[in-house]
Amino acid sequence: MTKFIAWIDERLPVTKFVKNHLSEYYAPKNFNFFYFFGSLALFVFILQIITGIFLTINYKPDAASAFASVEYIMRDVEWGWLIRYMHSTGASFFFIVIYLHMLRALMYGSYKKPRELLWLFGMFIFVLLMAEAFMGYLLPWGQMSYWGAQVIISLFGAIPLIGESLALWIRGDYVISDATLNRFFAFHVIALPLLLFAVIYLHIAALHTVGSNNPDGVEIKANKNNDGVPVDGIPFHPYYTVKDIFGLAVFLTIFMFVVFFLPEFGGFFLEKDNFVPADPLKTPEHIVPVWYFTPFYAILRAVPDKLGGVIAMGLAIFVLFLMPWLDRCKVKSIRYRSISYKILLIAFIVSFIGLGYIGMKAPTPTLTLLGRIFTIIYFGFFILLYFTSKNEKTKPVPERVTMHD
Amino acid sequence: MIKRYLAFFISLFLLSPVTYGASGGDLKPVAIDLGNKASLQRGAQIYFNNCAGCHTLQYHRYSKFVNDLGISEEMIKKNLILTTNKGEKTKLGSTIVNSINHDSIKEVFGVVPPDLTLTARSRGSEWIYTFLTSFYEDQTRPMGVNNVLYPNVNMPHVLWYKEGLKELDENNQLVIKVKGQLNQKEYEQEITDLVNFLTYVSEPAQLERYSIGFWVMLFLVIFVFITYLLKIEYWRDIK
Repeated sequence: MTKFIAWIDERLPVTKFVKNHLSEYYAPKNFNFFYFFGSLALFVFILQIITGIFLTINYKPDAASAFASVEYIMRDVEWGWLIRYMHSTGASFFFIVIYLHMLRALMYGSYKKPRELLWLFGMFIFVLLMAEAFMGYLLPWGQMSYWGAQVIISLFGAIPLIGESLALWIRGDYVISDATLNRFFAFHVIALPLLLFAVIYLHIAALHTVGSNNPDGVEIKANKNNDGVPVDGIPFHPYYTVKDIFGLAVFLTIFMFVVFFLPEFGGFFLEKDNFVPADPLKTPEHIVPVWYFTPFYAILRAVPDKLGGVIAMGLAIFVLFLMPWLDRCKVKSIRYRSISYKILLIAFIVSFIGLGYIGMKAPTPTLTLLGRIFTIIYFGFFILLYFTSKNEKTKPVPERVTMHD
Repeated sequence: MIKRYLAFFISLFLLSPVTYGASGGDLKPVAIDLGNKASLQRGAQIYFNNCAGCHTLQYHRYSKFVNDLGISEEMIKKNLILTTNKGEKTKLGSTIVNSINHDSIKEVFGVVPPDLTLTARSRGSEWIYTFLTSFYEDQTRPMGVNNVLYPNVNMPHVLWYKEGLKELDENNQLVIKVKGQLNQKEYEQEITDLVNFLTYVSEPAQLERYSIGFWVMLFLVIFVFITYLLKIEYWRDIK
């Protein structure tokens, strides 16, 4: 066996790779609950790829047969219903995991020097993931698939001069049609997953170059022993592999509970209207995007002007890219930052959840007003952060990481 | 620390916009029991005797009834398959369609009767139940009946010979005007069976989903416990 490995190593540095990235890759020992979501996101990504491959075996990207082929998977394909529910539930859980993963970065300043690139790659993944989810949602060819896509793509029409031609170019037709379904299928199953794979690779490569941040925001590499090993670091394998497997087990328990007992999740994961085949002549009473898009949809609706709304929605995502430069405080972790940052972050979380709620409801005067207030708070977070973070009253940051729990 | 996380998630849960049962206040509850095979079989009988002439179940197959509902192949061929395909009786493995001509039925009713495979998922079981118990006499309508839940619906009250004919009284309550073959309770039971059947048809996987889910949950709970012990064991030396 050792001879075989030596033979391999001469030709491909497998042992070196395992050492560099697992057995001698040192991670801070004080990771808490929020540090499960990176590996979980990777797991869900792989799960979506695998279940997705099985779905494409029986799915037909054709406006005349797409809806029926999904029902064929649900009824006639052995275990088809399980694969399909894992994929549809997986989409929603992907966003739950990613939102918590991003919240972790905001709490512990994981986007700050030297992790700016790591954050930018992460934000690219987020944008790609939204495109991936949006295009995937068209494929079942239900009423909500159809009209949701119709509404979102028509937003491009608001862009001056090129808008209408751009929307036409994306759809490949004057309305959502078979042409749109075919190209969305191509993007959903090959183009975007490949891109995602590449950017996830870069995200992890950047992570393993600079090393993980931690809940104390202390750089463990600043404190090494004589062997050059960070004193507060522990080898990723076996310590974090066993810990992440435990996290995965808990995640799977919740995930599979939804898959088996609440796959529609009260209409949040699978919407009722999507059990009606797409009908270009019949608009549903109430068109709403899936829950993970509703915060941004609410920002879009909060602005009275269509173009303004589109710009605001774009800005709401773009401004996140700038976090490493908007937050000018040297202290990373929320544990040692001022009360002002804590208040700002809580207000931001509340406004994000509030916008998510408003985005799913039919507009009323009260909700519209509330949506506007939350939109102001959402953007206010970034603006106030820029001005307050420079001279923040921070607490002293410890030399070494601390262990809680 | 654990308590803080718990509080965090409980507050997230309270803030979260999950509001169940927001599907209209006027729907009547219906006791769905997919474990009740006799009810599902009775529902199938009512469906094929009264509904299948106009409505299709185009995503579902006759052959599914063998294992799912315990109806024998002979019984299905003899009593449920009412259509032919190129002169031969429709095959057991076919999807459930009918032989109405879309143009002529549109002339009669104004619309093509919708496919019912997924109605229990798109509108809900309670909706179907309420719909089928809300017909009343209305001479201004072409079919002589109207529906409280779905005003001016084009569908005639097909099951009137069972239910009888109701009318709206001064307090907008439905009361029986002409008696049918069944009393109110028997009729409601038949509709429950029918809705039970349509609920099964909308998602046949429900028959096995819950029981498999139970074993998967049991496995995962044990798996969580074992991986937790493993984590504790490995982390013993980390201070």
